[in-house]
Amino acid sequence: MRRVITLFILIILCFLLQTTVFSFHDITGSAPNLMLVLTMSFGLMRGRKEGMLVGFFCGFLYDCFLGTLIGPYMLLYMFTGYVNGFFHKNYQVEDVMLPVIIIVLDEIVFNLLVYVFSFVLRNRLDFTFYLTKVILPQILYTLLATIILYRIFVRINKYLKKKAKD
Amino acid sequence: MLCQYVGKRINLVMKFDRKKDINPKYLLLALSIISLIFLFISAFFADFMQPVKEYTGKLITPMQDGVNSIGEWVTDRFEVFGDVKELRAENEELKAQIESYKEDITMYQQELSELQELRDLYELDSQYPEYNMTAARVFSTNTTGWFSEFYIDKGLNDGISEGCNVLCGGGLAGIVTEVYSDYAKVRAVIDDRSNISAAITPSNAICTVEGSLNNMESGYLLVTDIDKDAAISVGDKVITSHISDRYMYGITIGYVSEITNDSNNLTKTAKLIPAVDFSNIHDVLVITDKKQEVTY
Repeated sequence: MRRVITLFILIILCFLLQTTVFSFHDITGSAPNLMLVLTMSFGLMRGRKEGMLVGFFCGFLYDCFLGTLIGPYMLLYMFTGYVNGFFHKNYQVEDVMLPVIIIVLDEIVFNLLVYVFSFVLRNRLDFTFYLTKVILPQILYTLLATIILYRIFVRINKYLKKKAKD
Repeated sequence: MLCQYVGKRINLVMKFDRKKDINPKYLLLALSIISLIFLFISAFFADFMQPVKEYTGKLITPMQDGVNSIGEWVTDRFEVFGDVKELRAENEELKAQIESYKEDITMYQQELSELQELRDLYELDSQYPEYNMTAARVFSTNTTGWFSEFYIDKGLNDGISEGCNVLCGGGLAGIVTEVYSDYAKVRAVIDDRSNISAAITPSNAICTVEGSLNNMESGYLLVTDIDKDAAISVGDKVITSHISDRYMYGITIGYVSEITNDSNNLTKTAKLIPAVDFSNIHDVLVITDKKQEVTY
């Protein structure tokens, strides 16, 4: 129960940070995809099921507020969490390289899918532009956020594990 | 015996109920089906999903407001420690500006009275009707980098409905695309999906202003489908046209900065610099009137 409540608060916090603080009145700018970092972290630390559930609710929130349809980002986040859960076998507490590599791959897949579905289908084919001006900055932002946030998530996870054992 | 049996049953049920025993594969399948159902419903019966979005918004928007007010408080504190010298210089500058504006005002007043007389003569009074407006505040933006959308803190309860035009600093900022009881989503003019029927003054050449992520990176939008013979020049004002069915007439969109002939030799394309600074949108005005809809 404690875990569920903590995760719920974390999801909301990440969403709030992503939609308000990092984009203060700048419509043209982008912000780190914190909810993806959260999904990845818990997928990696706790396995497929928890990654998938965290992704599901992150995506739901994302779709309700930012999307036009409810569903596409839900599926996207959920599958990201599920696939990242496969790396749970290789999870080590001190390891920082693995989450960084995974988040970069996640971001590439995530942004490519958004690009294909909402830009290529409308005949916007200048891929190099979108790669350099949208996708790469986004990856860089999220990467920096991962380096900072991942450690915090690991601590939270450790604390929850300890409490669950007691 | 019976007790043992019941105990076993309870154990079995407990074991089955425990989340750990659900195979992740089946859970994935179940959740995928749920999201696909959501997707289907929201695509074909949007009204059914409206309450879901509404209630999530009710949960989220107050928190976003809270975070924003904390952010504003912090920036305010930082600004207090800003350079006093800078402020003094700015003060001087602004005073000088006020003087020049005063002169301008007297001049404009004279011209205005003249204009009024002329208008009376031509009975043009109703060409520039006063629109009903309401002020709103931006509390969140779309941060994916792919879309240019923002959220305002007024909704259905304040008379805003889907399709209302949003102004900022004297220029067209966007159009309301989704509206809920207490907040609304606005698609900016510079969004990649935006397409506005516009006119270039003073020649009144009809054209289309296309939002584009690609061009906005260099700071301009494209104005397409201008007639080859239209008398337009750099610096002309681009306004929303009277034939647009979604935008009110006469709102400034921006200014023409570069004109090129298209290869088809029938139309011209121009670059437009938007009148609104989209990197800093705080307070906006929403026109609550809507363009008269014609049903055929």
